Amino acid sequence: MAKTIALLGQPNSGKSTLFNNLTGLHQRVGNWPGKTVERAEGFFSYNGVEYKVVDLPGSYGLSANSEEEVVTRNYIHGGEADLVCILVDASQLERSLYMLADFVGIRAPVMLVLNMMDVAEASGKKIDVESIEKKLGVPVLGFSAAETKRYPVFLRTLELAVKFPRFLDSGELQKELEEIGENKVESPLHLLEEALGEIKLGNSEKMWLAVKLLENDKLVRQAVKDNLPFARRNAVETILGNVGDGGIATGEAKYRWIYKIVKESCNEKAPDKVFGKWDRIATHRIKGKIFSFVIMVVALLACMILAFPGMGIGFGLQPLLQSLVEKAGASLGAWPVVVSFVNNVLVGGTCITVCMTSFIFSIIFVFRILEEIGYMARFSYAFDNWLSRLGLHGKAIMPLFSGIGCTAGAVCGTRVLDTRGQRLFALVLLWAIPCGSKVAVVLFLASTFFGSAAPFFAIGYVALIFLSFWLSSILFGKKLIPENERVGMIMELPPYHKPHWKMIAAMVGRSTWGIFKKALKMILMVAAVFWALSYASDGNVENTILYRIGNAIEPVTMFFGMRWELFISYLGGMFSKEASLGIMSTLFNHTGEAFSLVTRVAASDNLGEVLAKTISKPEALAFLFASMFNVPCVLAMGTTYREVGAIKWLATIMGYYIALSLGLGFIGYHIGLLIF
Amino acid sequence: MQEENIRAISLGEMGENSSGNIAKIEGDSRFISRIISIGLTPGSSFTLLKNDGRSPVLVFCRDTVIAVNRRECSQILARVEK
Repeated sequence: MAKTIALLGQPNSGKSTLFNNLTGLHQRVGNWPGKTVERAEGFFSYNGVEYKVVDLPGSYGLSANSEEEVVTRNYIHGGEADLVCILVDASQLERSLYMLADFVGIRAPVMLVLNMMDVAEASGKKIDVESIEKKLGVPVLGFSAAETKRYPVFLRTLELAVKFPRFLDSGELQKELEEIGENKVESPLHLLEEALGEIKLGNSEKMWLAVKLLENDKLVRQAVKDNLPFARRNAVETILGNVGDGGIATGEAKYRWIYKIVKESCNEKAPDKVFGKWDRIATHRIKGKIFSFVIMVVALLACMILAFPGMGIGFGLQPLLQSLVEKAGASLGAWPVVVSFVNNVLVGGTCITVCMTSFIFSIIFVFRILEEIGYMARFSYAFDNWLSRLGLHGKAIMPLFSGIGCTAGAVCGTRVLDTRGQRLFALVLLWAIPCGSKVAVVLFLASTFFGSAAPFFAIGYVALIFLSFWLSSILFGKKLIPENERVGMIMELPPYHKPHWKMIAAMVGRSTWGIFKKALKMILMVAAVFWALSYASDGNVENTILYRIGNAIEPVTMFFGMRWELFISYLGGMFSKEASLGIMSTLFNHTGEAFSLVTRVAASDNLGEVLAKTISKPEALAFLFASMFNVPCVLAMGTTYREVGAIKWLATIMGYYIALSLGLGFIGYHIGLLIF
Repeated sequence: MQEENIRAISLGEMGENSSGNIAKIEGDSRFISRIISIGLTPGSSFTLLKNDGRSPVLVFCRDTVIAVNRRECSQILARVEK
């Protein structure tokens, strides 16, 4: 049977790097049963033993203040893990050992990993790992998750830690905790432990429960209420009433315990440059925002350059392969229907998937590097004021901004947010932010129909996006991020790190490959459906199913100002932004075969001319508005589904944007009828 | 002790580049657990790196640069070291 390793650590402890490097492609992402928190699991084997790695949600401690923390705690209490691997940042040892201090009193086998030893050493910090190991009574390893060469030692240590499980010694922390309420005759900790009697909560010792009671932990309080007889319950309440600020006292005790460990195991060297010139600029109220903006523009440009080869391959290969297939089909005497299917669904779908995923890759890669360097935290800091008005954490700026590049990539980026509510709300906002392709389509339409007035549409578009944020925050924000759960920014700005390029490229490559495989399946399926609906053996548009459906629903779609051709293009925009232009090329310009399908990526040269001639201004207005707030491409929707893990939420967000875009189309059309 | 308490001011009122130590943390247990888990406890000494009146305050404590939102700053009292 596989041995189970649980990874526990604060944000920025390098947990995800370790998880990814251990498990590579053997990962499974789902939700914790009955919860909305993501559960990531992976597998690897070492020396013939199978290991299952559970990546616990990142949290600062083991309190019960968020769903993530509750999930983490319940899992550890359940005793399912054969080893809990606790990661701390060696360069900020004292602070990050808090997680370990919060863990003391839980009877689970532990191994402590002092991650980022390279950073600590570079700053002149010397840590005596053996001395820490002796004090704690569990295996301790100096490590750097980003350096491949360190993994053999890690795996050996892990193997031994699983074979010979050891538990944290709680004696020293107990002593510190007993000092709470020093002016009292008897220590509140003792009194609490006594009052608790034989109560059990998973594998936690009474000391741990007493600490959580002192910290006014809701779940432990409830458990005590449910399980203790009346008299004992009263005793507990009385003791707690006498202590007062218990949470602060236990916190002080834990840091005293940490200090004693660190003091004797580390040299006291203050890091020299904690807040340099760059930090002063990056965190400046105005300069910081400008600086961030410049960096982001550069980052987006870098994304485009990185995506270029993939885009080139995808777009370039499509016509090449398609003409090859046509020639081969002709020489083999294959049925036209087969050739059409292969070309439009298989070849077209694969090429477009290559294009889209190359964008995702570059976005994830570039932003991952910014995060690794430590710049992301500064960026979040600079924009926290703005985002907190929406109830979002400053960290949301990264996914929101990268949405300008590629929505699907940005969706993956929302993972940096700590709570489910924050993530969902950021996703809702993100869908309104146009990706590069959407911007191109909207600008093309605006300049086609309204010529020199196009810049006003661009400005109006930006204004509408902000208006939609406001609407979303009324409809979703208040519910997803309740007022009483909004905690202002309390965040560390990690020191700058040198990025480990290769490692990041490998990690991002792996996750992109995962996305590509899923995307390919999805895109081929959707393309096949579209193809089936729009195939006519004689090439006559009027003989396609799509034509019939389109005509049948035209009375309804005209309500939103869209004749059936435009409505089908609108639907095509849900597949990819380019597809809506491709479909228009076929429907209005009659180029290509009966129906150029969703996989068609290019608009024909004179599309603009034809459109301007055929479509009235009010209709154009309707279609333009509808395109602005149409849902993102199929890949972005797929990644959103993967992130939220619930079809209900995907459907809700889709419904919201379809309603919003059609509503705007309706308004645009009727205003247009009045004006023009 | 009394006298020292009088001199305690909120984090947001401190000048840049001044040092001090935390005198008191006020707030509900949720806030306290959050602020303690990031490393600020009564008695811990720190340097105030940034306080420009609007953005979150930046303090350096336990080898870490920590950003604390303005509203939350008023719940953290500190004694300034001369």
